[in-house]
Amino acid sequence: MMEESDTYHIRPNHRFKFKPAVVKGYIRNIVRERLSDVQYEPETVAELTRSLAESVKDKVKTAEFDRYKIVVQVLIGEQRGQGVKMSARCLWDADTDNYAEDVFMNDSLFCVVTVFGSYYY
Amino acid sequence: MWLYCRSDAIQEEKRKHKSESKERQNLKKSDSDVWSSHGDRDQMLRDKHKERHKKEKDSADGRHTDRRHREAEEADVEKSSSKKSSSDKRKEEKKDEKERQQTADGQQGEDHIENADLAEQAYEEDFEDYEEDFEDVDESADEGEDDDGEAEQTTEQSKEIEAIRRAMAEENERVGTAQSRSSTAREEEQNRPKWSKGSERNESKTSRHGKFINFVAAKQREISKKVATKQKKRSTELLRLIDLDFSMTFSLLDIPPVSEYEMYIKSFGNANTKQAYVQCNEDNTDRYVQTEEVEICEKWTQHPPEYNGACGDPNFSQDAQDKSRIDILLDSQCLMSFLSSASQVMVVLLEEDQAEKKSLRKLKTQTDSLSFSDGSLQLNTKFPFLLGRQISLVQFSEVQKHIMLSVHMPTSKASTVGLDSCTVICVWNIWEPSRPQKILIYESEVQCCCFSPGKSTLVFAGTLVGSVVVWDLREYASNHYRLKMGDYEWTFRHPTFSTDAVMSGSGHVSPITSIEVVPSFVAGGPRPEVPLLASEEESSGLSFQLASLDESGILNFWVVVELPKGNEAGSPTDLGLRPGGRVKLLHSSSLLTVPRPSLKEAAKTRPFQTLLLKYHPTDSNHFFIGTNLGLVRHGTSHGLKAPPQFYKSQEVEERTVDINSIHFSPFRPNLFLVGCADGSIRVHAVSHDQPVAEWMNSTSGEAVISLQWTQTRPAVFCVLDAASNLHIWDMLKDDGQPVKTETFCADRVTAMAVFGDSGQQNTYSGIALAHESGNIELQYFTQPLTLPNPAEEGKLESLMTEAF
Repeated sequence: MMEESDTYHIRPNHRFKFKPAVVKGYIRNIVRERLSDVQYEPETVAELTRSLAESVKDKVKTAEFDRYKIVVQVLIGEQRGQGVKMSARCLWDADTDNYAEDVFMNDSLFCVVTVFGSYYY
Repeated sequence: MWLYCRSDAIQEEKRKHKSESKERQNLKKSDSDVWSSHGDRDQMLRDKHKERHKKEKDSADGRHTDRRHREAEEADVEKSSSKKSSSDKRKEEKKDEKERQQTADGQQGEDHIENADLAEQAYEEDFEDYEEDFEDVDESADEGEDDDGEAEQTTEQSKEIEAIRRAMAEENERVGTAQSRSSTAREEEQNRPKWSKGSERNESKTSRHGKFINFVAAKQREISKKVATKQKKRSTELLRLIDLDFSMTFSLLDIPPVSEYEMYIKSFGNANTKQAYVQCNEDNTDRYVQTEEVEICEKWTQHPPEYNGACGDPNFSQDAQDKSRIDILLDSQCLMSFLSSASQVMVVLLEEDQAEKKSLRKLKTQTDSLSFSDGSLQLNTKFPFLLGRQISLVQFSEVQKHIMLSVHMPTSKASTVGLDSCTVICVWNIWEPSRPQKILIYESEVQCCCFSPGKSTLVFAGTLVGSVVVWDLREYASNHYRLKMGDYEWTFRHPTFSTDAVMSGSGHVSPITSIEVVPSFVAGGPRPEVPLLASEEESSGLSFQLASLDESGILNFWVVVELPKGNEAGSPTDLGLRPGGRVKLLHSSSLLTVPRPSLKEAAKTRPFQTLLLKYHPTDSNHFFIGTNLGLVRHGTSHGLKAPPQFYKSQEVEERTVDINSIHFSPFRPNLFLVGCADGSIRVHAVSHDQPVAEWMNSTSGEAVISLQWTQTRPAVFCVLDAASNLHIWDMLKDDGQPVKTETFCADRVTAMAVFGDSGQQNTYSGIALAHESGNIELQYFTQPLTLPNPAEEGKLESLMTEAF
């Protein structure tokens, strides 16, 4: 028996392409608003990371990146003079997929928010 | 039906294991093809399989055909009942599902039957197993099936099923025989007839059983398989369209560890700390130790502490002081001298003015105006430091006739000043009677003193302890002990130089009875009355010697040396020199005025004492010493014998009386007065040992304390005796007794000094009387006593010629 030939969206419309700059803007605003006066407290910071990830995710979703899978990662660490190195590597289609990240630091904590956008064909 | 399906299933599995496509093809091919396709395997296997497979194939084909037949049959059979057809359809569906399951199972079974040997060996067992499965499956299938439809058509189905089974069995037999024929045909080649038979039997057996097969798990497997295939298909298709590659490594965050210094700097200034720079010593330059700059300043100090310059430091500040002082001295010396003289003049004028006013008011109302005096002047001695002190000596300067000094003995009365045990010497300017010009202090008793010749800048004193002290009146008042009393600050000057204990070896050990300045001019030189020129005065001001005579007869000569600059630190060699002092004494020579042997008799009764020293006014070589034997000894400082040696009384017996006073006439230097303790007064000429005139009882036996020629009239002299009587002799008028005698009962006179100036401008003559109470009066002589009489010279001449 013959199966139907599937149609696949290989490339998103340019308007709906994942724009790192825009997303970075979103991240920056949210983070600065939420973390500007916050001191690092081990009890509250776990909840804070989760809520921050939620907020960022919701905000990015409002941007209507169609057919994009969004991955939001939030890292908050205490600044105690330690050295930190964080990096990421992805296997993706470089034409359609992208990521946006922002770093926020004050004298008690640092926060890294990374948003990966992967196009779902 | 089911049996066939199952066997089909087995066969399909097997085929799939080998080659799917070929299997599919093989299904359509003939037996021979099937055999050939399986020729790859081992001969044994092939042989085995060939037979089996062939049989199976045949059977399968047969079955397929049979199935078709059966289906036809079934169709025929089922035509009777629609339900059957529905069940058939269901079966068909199930068969389809089974097929799918088979494909899935085939995949699974691939794993199974990759090991052909096992499969081979277990083939029969499989059948047996399958039988078991069938039983089970049949049961479950039956259950399933029965669940589905048994409720509705159990009885009908069971009948139909039986019918179908019978038909199947018949078919199986037919197929089995066909297969056995074909197999027996190749039995020579193959070695498995029994097996085939067995298989037939098995098949027949199995065909006879006809059990149910469960499709639920198979269904599920089919579903997941379907989904997986879909995804797989999707992914394969997509991967053809797109490229996936690794992105760059994004460094999301990189914070280097904070160094210690940064941490420190972060907390710098916030914590309650202060950073301080420290430094260790040189062998640990990499370590730091807190050090603070310690300010160092050198100072030195010495005794006496009252002295302003008694401490200092070697830095320039001291030099600056010196410098300024030197500047003052050198640059403005003229100014200073002018100022000092001008100020004196001013003061004197003011005082005069004041005194005049006072005297005008009081002149005629003075009740106690003396017979000989025209007016008097009181020196103000009402100072706390002069209270209760007796004045032992009043002396006028030789050249500066208005400068006077008064020696105030130490007081027994305790005073507030604290100078009780000290001798106070006041230097007065009689034109400034309100206060003494300078106040000199000495720790012990002063026996005698004198001014320096010329300008009275130095005061010499001989003390009870045998020391000679010098005061330099030019010293600044700031260097001396200052005491504030009332609203005026008094400066008490300590001696500039003292031979106390330092030069006692070369000095005196017994009380000094007399101290005299040895004038440096010899006979024939200008007379001291003629004032020296200023320059000469300056230069000759200090070219004189000092002679001091003590009780034991030792006559010491001292040279007065002026240092160009005073050392504030004091002199390490001249210990008697006050720090900063510029005048010192050097011992020059000593002379022992040994008594003559002929006087030993008299000496036995009393120790020989030399009481007075007087130098010849014009000839500094000759000195005259008054002794306690009533004799005046004549000596020369250069050892030349000079007759007469002694000047004695007219009396034949030698009386051991103290000579209290010797005074040379200012007009006739060869005449001198001698006053003794028994009241006798003698006038001697230097040339003769016998007196020119002698008066024995003028004082009624009272000892003569002091006698002096007046300064203006050569024939007038005054005598003060112990009964506080003042006798004024005028030899012109009366050469037997004093012309005036004044008694001071109320306030005894303890010392007397005649002053006066015979200068043309202002001739005055008077007498200074020091009272017991401490008052010092200056009584001015009346005009007759003051003004010189030209006949006096003749009188004195006649006196002398009369005597010799």
